[in-house]
Amino acid sequence: MRTAKLVAIGVIVVGTLVAESKKEYHFTVGPKAGVSVLNPYGSISVKPSSNNTVVVNAILHSDKVEVDNNQSGNRVDIESHLLPGADAESGRVDYELLVPPDASVTLHSTTGPLRAERLHGDVTLEGAGATVDVRDISDAHVHVKTVNGPVTLDNIKDGHVEIDSLSGEVTLNQVNGPFVQVVSTSGSINYSGDFGNSGEYRLTSHSGDIEATIPEWTSADVSARSVRGQVSDDIPLQPKTHNWFPIDKGRAFAGTMGRLATSSTVVLRTFSGKIHLRKRSDK
Amino acid sequence: MDCVELQNSLVETADASRAEQRAHLKTCPACTALVAELNLIAHSASLLQAAEEPSPRVWNSIESALRREGLIHPPRAESRRVPSFASRWGHARWLVPVAAIFLVVLGISIRPRPQMPVQSAVISPQRVALGSSAQALAGLNDEDLLQEVSDTAPVMKAEWENDLRNANAYIRDAQAMVDQNPNDEDARRALLDAYEQKSLLFEMAMDRSLP
Repeated sequence: MRTAKLVAIGVIVVGTLVAESKKEYHFTVGPKAGVSVLNPYGSISVKPSSNNTVVVNAILHSDKVEVDNNQSGNRVDIESHLLPGADAESGRVDYELLVPPDASVTLHSTTGPLRAERLHGDVTLEGAGATVDVRDISDAHVHVKTVNGPVTLDNIKDGHVEIDSLSGEVTLNQVNGPFVQVVSTSGSINYSGDFGNSGEYRLTSHSGDIEATIPEWTSADVSARSVRGQVSDDIPLQPKTHNWFPIDKGRAFAGTMGRLATSSTVVLRTFSGKIHLRKRSDK
Repeated sequence: MDCVELQNSLVETADASRAEQRAHLKTCPACTALVAELNLIAHSASLLQAAEEPSPRVWNSIESALRREGLIHPPRAESRRVPSFASRWGHARWLVPVAAIFLVVLGISIRPRPQMPVQSAVISPQRVALGSSAQALAGLNDEDLLQEVSDTAPVMKAEWENDLRNANAYIRDAQAMVDQNPNDEDARRALLDAYEQKSLLFEMAMDRSLP
């Protein structure tokens, strides 16, 4: 009986290994190339290459999926092409890409995970349930759209950041730039950083909680408002003389902190979530 | 042979008569349709009279057919290829651009205009009412979305149902806030955000196959 089980497991393992295949593609591109990957099922990870080459490594989990690739001038398009009968398992392809750091990257995967790091070209990531992880990006647009996948952005400098998520948790660590916006319906939003210099930060949700943890030396013009939830802050703000919305205690606050000349505008809004502006402990 | 290789090989053997071409066509309906269309074009071309210059419409048709098949690309900075969308949704796919246009119109109508004097920034009752009927105008049908999720990913139906319910609640709350105070910039912006969230839900459900 035990031998039969081992044989069965062996057959499954061998079958899997046989069905799985690897493909590698190389493309030579110029400055600011465009790279897009459309992959219904599976992960996509993008890292910088050391030259002007796009390298695509793909692991295909069965012969029910193919990788179509096309280079058109300075643009490279990669697409997982599902053949009849493919499903989430057999249609899965896992990609690892190396792209020139200044390339603009567009990634689509329903399941994900999606990951991009150490680039300074624009990054667009979309996936209904995909976990999204973006880190060490500078001077670029970062656009993320998910339905319920969690989103983490880490160390984004001078970014134009737009995140839309229905119910995924959104976490921003050390994210700054001229424009940072998160819109969520029920997912929570956590910001940890200093709100940069002279940027606009909008964190809004319907029912998700919003928490911003900032150092005491932050320069910002902050307004927070929850229609039905509670708001609280650990940092004393200089009250503003004029507010265009009523400041109901416990439901809204507005004020400034730090140096006005370099302060960013911070807008925190929710209908039924809680808002908490927290002082970061540097110990 | 994969799709790209097949399409490249059609330059040499347009009728796809080679063994490896035929083998690929057996497993790929998209390439089969492409070859059939190319054959049709070739056949139609042979019927054209040599003396008659084709009208610009003919060239436009050929160009749009080639674009549809992905053989040529418009000169855009970014192109997205989403093959499953049209086939999956048929005529209903037009709901997305219609919804998008509507959202843009809605956005323009409720976008704050800080330079305007307060009196002229007041939104008329008709304009506010637009939001309440927006869903119907945009043709967004919740049942269609849930049906699509049930068909492709029944395990995720409950989660999407919940997301849809929450998105609708967001729209209702934002609309109520706008109704209560049409000059509330937050409310107007929230209404736009809420519609965009719902639009995102539809976009994700329709654009790509769910696991």
